[in-house]
Amino acid sequence: MDKKHSDKTIYGILAEFKNPRELTDASKTIVESGYRNFDTFSPFPIHGIDKAMNLNKSKLGWIVAGHGLLGLLGGVALIYFTMVVDYPMNISGKSLINVPAWIPVLFELTVLLSAFGAVFGMFFLNGLPKFNHPLFDSENFKKATDDGFFVCIESEDPQFEEEKVSKFLKDAGATNIETIYEE
Amino acid sequence: MASTSPKITDSLQFPDNLDVTKTFYGFGAVGLIASGVGYFLNAEQFFFSYLTSFAFFTSIGLASLILLMIHHITRSSWGVVIRRIPEAFASNLWIWSIFIIPILLGMHSLYHWTHADYVAQDPILAGKTAYLNTPFFVIRQFIYFGIWGFLGYKLHKISVDMDKTNDWGLMELLKKLSAPGILIFAITIAFASFDWLMSLDPHWFSTMFGIYYFAMSFQALFPILILIIFWMHKKGILENTIQKSHIYDLGAWFFGFTIFYAYIAFSQFLLIYYANIPEETLWFYHRLEGSWAYVSYSLIICRFAIPFIVLLNRDTKHNHKVLISVSILVIAMHIIELYWIVMPTLHHHGVSISWLDFTTLIGLGGIFMGLFFQRLKKHKLVPVNDPNLPDSLHKTYHQ
Repeated sequence: MDKKHSDKTIYGILAEFKNPRELTDASKTIVESGYRNFDTFSPFPIHGIDKAMNLNKSKLGWIVAGHGLLGLLGGVALIYFTMVVDYPMNISGKSLINVPAWIPVLFELTVLLSAFGAVFGMFFLNGLPKFNHPLFDSENFKKATDDGFFVCIESEDPQFEEEKVSKFLKDAGATNIETIYEE
Repeated sequence: MASTSPKITDSLQFPDNLDVTKTFYGFGAVGLIASGVGYFLNAEQFFFSYLTSFAFFTSIGLASLILLMIHHITRSSWGVVIRRIPEAFASNLWIWSIFIIPILLGMHSLYHWTHADYVAQDPILAGKTAYLNTPFFVIRQFIYFGIWGFLGYKLHKISVDMDKTNDWGLMELLKKLSAPGILIFAITIAFASFDWLMSLDPHWFSTMFGIYYFAMSFQALFPILILIIFWMHKKGILENTIQKSHIYDLGAWFFGFTIFYAYIAFSQFLLIYYANIPEETLWFYHRLEGSWAYVSYSLIICRFAIPFIVLLNRDTKHNHKVLISVSILVIAMHIIELYWIVMPTLHHHGVSISWLDFTTLIGLGGIFMGLFFQRLKKHKLVPVNDPNLPDSLHKTYHQ
């Protein structure tokens, strides 16, 4: 735990709040003060915190839609090539372009690729997988999975100044304020 | 996480100065009288048009009933604030049963299997007489409406009683009624759809027809609820009680059951198409003949593709203009689909629209909506003593 070396770059300032309510209020104050690069951590989802943090709408929907479309078109290409071009097969006299019979396959492929898009897109947007995160250095941060409600203002923020942010968080009612360093 | 529990700020009484009941009854009476005249001009057309309209409005009542039962058995809280609307629809099912009478009187025109000489020459129909015979058909209608009427009336009555008594034990009773109710409902709606719609073509059968009728009814219920709520908001009723989050939920149900409907309708078609057995394909063959083919294709586009694509985006699920247009489209397509199920029996070779299609729709619709508003305005617009009401009011829309 010998992190207080000046040669290490600062990742951000971590601060603890007592309960979800205070965390939500603090998020509003942080947004109002003009900070943009910050995140909140809690053991469970908090209603209304997205709005308080002024988060943008997730792009995941578009990723899923794109993958779904890819699945659909890929399916059409697959069936068209195998059943019409490469090895045409007459099945009970129906036409080669037999759309109703294709639909179950197209549906499955659309759903499959959408699900992949949803899962892997979520990983991608969350920056996963990751071996470690600077916040894990904080002993106190372990409470985030139990009963701790945290805010971390990151050093990437254009307004970031260590002293100023610490004081600001203290004024907002935070406890256990600590500076987190990059590895 | 608000410290104060939310309070209802709206008036819970339907405004007295809004007398929609009389208007609807007026329309209903005019429509029914006009249809009655039509009976003397063209009895066959009258019965077929009447059956289409009857199947449409009954489906709304039945879909309301199943929504209520699902709601009770899952102990849902989201929909408590809108529950009085389906309750008002379902509670009228016992009164609505009198409108089956014209169908019973017109059985001879509607259903081929009622003709004894025709059945005698047809070994397939002769084999079905144990089920398809006039007395049993009539008895079945009494059983269906007896069960639905009882369930609908009871679910509404208990809910209304709770407004006065504040007895939360009644929630248990609602659940106990709903659990077997769902099972009995599933069986009765399936057989009712076989009787009313499938037996129009007595040679044809589809084991999926019951769930097909249910799926389309349930899909059409949500646009109707959405339109009623928007109308109420416009008149200043429950403006702050039914919020964006509730509209969004209805939009999500609407979207979900659009997919369910398409899944069921397509599954029915695919199995018949793929197996290609003449006795099964004939029904679809008639519906792909002449101008009926356009109706068939429009069902795919207007009842599935358009609502699916439009409602896919989460913002459109609570956007007034979009929801209103899609709702009107789907309700219209529900009527058209029932028309497409019923009418090819009478007009084999193509669509032939009769003025009776409209008068029966206006007539039955006027009475149906009149009964609905009469029931709705008699009681509080929200079940005030429901233990889940605070939860429902508290719902927030997640951006």
